[in-house]
Amino acid sequence: MVVTTRQSDSPLSSGKMLDEDKITKALNFASSLGAEYAEIRLVSETTNTASLKDGKLERAIPGQEVGVTMRILADGAWGVHSTSDISSITEQVESTFRLAKAVAARRSASQTVVELAEVPIIQDEIHWKSAKDVRDTDLDKRIEMMLAIDNEAKDDERIVSTSTGWSDEHIHTELMTTEGMNRVWSFQRSLINGMVTARDGDEVVSYRMRHGGEGGLEVIEACDLGEMGRNAKISAIRLLSAERAPSGRIPLVADRDLTGVYIHEALGHPCEADLVAAGDSCLEGRLGQTIGSEICTVVDDPTMRGGYGCYPIDDEGVNPRPKNLIVNGVLTEYLNHRETAHRYDLEPNGGARAQDGLHHPLVRMSNTIIQGGSHRDLDELIEDIDYGIYACGSRGGQVDTGRGSFQFAAQEAWIIENGSLTRPVKDVSVSGMTLQILKDVDGLTRDSHLAAPGFCGKGQTVPVGDGGPLMRIKEALVG
Amino acid sequence: MIMIPDDAVERLLESAQAIGAVCDKANVQQWEVYATQGYGHSLEIEAGRISMASGGGEGGFGIRVVEDGRYGYAHLVDPNSASRAIEQALSIAKRSPSIEGFELPGNNPATKVGGMMDNAILDLGPEDLLEQGDQILTRVAELDSRAVAVGGGVGVGAGAGVIVTSSGIQDGGIHTSHGLGIHVSIDEDDHLTSSYEGESSRSLLKDLTASVDKAVHWSQATREVIPGGETEDCPILMTSDGFSPLFSVVVPTAIKGERLARGESFWSGKMNQNVIADHLSLVDDGLMEGGMSSGSRDDEGVPSRTQTLVESGRLIGELWSTRDAAKLVAEGKVSSAESTGSASRGGHTAPPVCGCSDLTLSSSAKTLSRDRLIEEMENGYVVHSVMGAHTANPTSGDFSVTTSTILRVEDGQVVGSLSQAGLSGNMAKALAGRVVLGDSQKRKGSYSTGSMHVPDILLMDGLRINPA
Repeated sequence: MVVTTRQSDSPLSSGKMLDEDKITKALNFASSLGAEYAEIRLVSETTNTASLKDGKLERAIPGQEVGVTMRILADGAWGVHSTSDISSITEQVESTFRLAKAVAARRSASQTVVELAEVPIIQDEIHWKSAKDVRDTDLDKRIEMMLAIDNEAKDDERIVSTSTGWSDEHIHTELMTTEGMNRVWSFQRSLINGMVTARDGDEVVSYRMRHGGEGGLEVIEACDLGEMGRNAKISAIRLLSAERAPSGRIPLVADRDLTGVYIHEALGHPCEADLVAAGDSCLEGRLGQTIGSEICTVVDDPTMRGGYGCYPIDDEGVNPRPKNLIVNGVLTEYLNHRETAHRYDLEPNGGARAQDGLHHPLVRMSNTIIQGGSHRDLDELIEDIDYGIYACGSRGGQVDTGRGSFQFAAQEAWIIENGSLTRPVKDVSVSGMTLQILKDVDGLTRDSHLAAPGFCGKGQTVPVGDGGPLMRIKEALVG
Repeated sequence: MIMIPDDAVERLLESAQAIGAVCDKANVQQWEVYATQGYGHSLEIEAGRISMASGGGEGGFGIRVVEDGRYGYAHLVDPNSASRAIEQALSIAKRSPSIEGFELPGNNPATKVGGMMDNAILDLGPEDLLEQGDQILTRVAELDSRAVAVGGGVGVGAGAGVIVTSSGIQDGGIHTSHGLGIHVSIDEDDHLTSSYEGESSRSLLKDLTASVDKAVHWSQATREVIPGGETEDCPILMTSDGFSPLFSVVVPTAIKGERLARGESFWSGKMNQNVIADHLSLVDDGLMEGGMSSGSRDDEGVPSRTQTLVESGRLIGELWSTRDAAKLVAEGKVSSAESTGSASRGGHTAPPVCGCSDLTLSSSAKTLSRDRLIEEMENGYVVHSVMGAHTANPTSGDFSVTTSTILRVEDGQVVGSLSQAGLSGNMAKALAGRVVLGDSQKRKGSYSTGSMHVPDILLMDGLRINPA
């Protein structure tokens, strides 16, 4: 263990942590053994988390974690070694090479050999500077920001408790490969969240809120935290008297949060080329086909600065770019990494992300968003709905990419009757089949932007952004 | 041993003691050093083949300091940087509220818990794991030529953990784990069915093929699709695999002392009242032999215990960590409370929080086999897995999830499957209604802390099926 706990005054937070000579020797050794490719990627994360319970500091945790992962491709198969002891990584070349060879030896003649698409070999450093470096934010400031939510969220006797949380991170990554890639990049993310719990007799409900994005303190300062707290309180109190949601196939209008979760779950995951390659995507073989309504255009954009899923370079050292997943209803692109780009003869689009330095990269989403449509606003979207649901705020979702079925849940909802919102309902979840429901999108408002930040799990957890306009689905399974 | 150094615990203890000595030198009133170092091998399965093999290790130290009832925390990987981390923790403690009566736990004798480590796992190397992968893939092919293992993997791990405190606690040990997950699909005639199954154990899994058999079975059993009917409130038999995720999101949260005291639980204000069916009991066992979430002490050094939380339907217990108990007493939310040995944490990077250990739902009434439960249900559905369990609301107990592994039962017989359906209800109300448990306890992972031990469960009331 050779890494120390350091904060923003540390030279390691901006300088290189990998010993280039030693890493180069290790990579050369891998090549000399017969490896087709090898890489060593180090991630150092300087983090701060804090939380308040009922306005009092519950915890504050500063930390610096470092991890390093070596991937070796030999005989068309992967061997991987990960450790938090960065000094030991160079000792693992031979064993990791043997691991890759052992995996390759089990491959049958009909199974695919792993090869990597060619990408530009770059030596550089990219550091996305925050307007207000989050490492310079002290605990008092973090508490002040959380209290701004808390003070406005608890001003009602039915609110029995409030929780607020803070998380910021400065992520520093170094990547060296046998191809000569030598890249260093860094950026920051900041997040604030809260939850209010309301009670009336035996009826108890909670409402969650979250704001954040790529960047430093300025991300949090851009949010009206008091309004966020007030809105959460109002929603929680409203839920106390909300009825249970109806069940059945009915028209659905989703707010930006739910539109984002919907597009993330229903479309984004099946577009991940590693799932396509695994035979676990309903979109396999459908590139170029119309899979959705012609008003649907969906982009996954890691370069959308400020989005919670941004990154300057992907975890294979590839420059990321926006991916047009669907254009006017036609599936045009998968998210890929170098392995799947080669397999499907696609241009690498920089979709490789790892949770941290202790994990290998998978194909992941970044900021996924539906482009705006032609409807003016919510009123215009619902004016010709006789009976339906307007659902708001996300409680998360899940997808079975192979079957193409998905589910997501709303925090609160309203019944739409004769073109108007009438009464609140709760516990709304929506499910459907990707290939059907994308065709059933029949209305989008004009303005499209990212909604609340989120986290995506796929064995590894990564921050993501998603959103879009308000969206109308002519029939969805609600229940 | 191949996987973990023979002296892993001793080395961690030595480092933790050295950090403690730095705390003493800095005149910290009370301190706790929690350290872990893990090692493991794993392989990934994808598209019917082993796609990757990996190995590695990680670890670090967490330092909690307490001064006049205020606490601070910091974590690090290099013991040589302890001074800086302690300084940070003390600085945070100064900003934290003082909780009257909050002190780190004393050194009380703890019961040794067996079954935490299996030497057979320690001796496993990467090649052994690859052979296990081969067995799994071979089994899938043997069972059904149409079936493909589209995802999954096998992993073994060994971890050393120690806790050293200023109050004299000095404890440590090695635990092992062996787990597998397998996602099988059958895609034929433009109709794809699939099932994910998994299991894990502190000891070497004796039968690697059991999960494979189950995954293939459910992929086959859901291929006879019948038209979905109308939305209906009806009895639902949830298999252990289907029920555990929902149960783990809702119930462990509801029995935390802090949430009960703050009115954040649907069981708040119901201590000593009947909250679930009167033949059901809920026991949190931190001393379960081989329990994935058990051990002689909890994650702040308090001796583990076996605690009945619900007895014959009546709520009689709650879970507390040391700080939560002191805080809620100091705030006047409860007249008295003390740790129940229920502190847990995800690793060295976080201080302990309250959570369950090995949580078991049992019944004093006659339990039935799955076939008998289906007969008992007469008309309804069998649900084997759900999507979106994590979206359940632990505050209210409400949930609304989706299932694609659902069988229709008519007159006590399975008559076919639905392609997809919504399943909604309220966990607290469903458990308070008519309930019959299956006759085998299964351990399942959890969305929250702890491990769930719940059998198949027939819920007769309060659930709704909404066929797609």
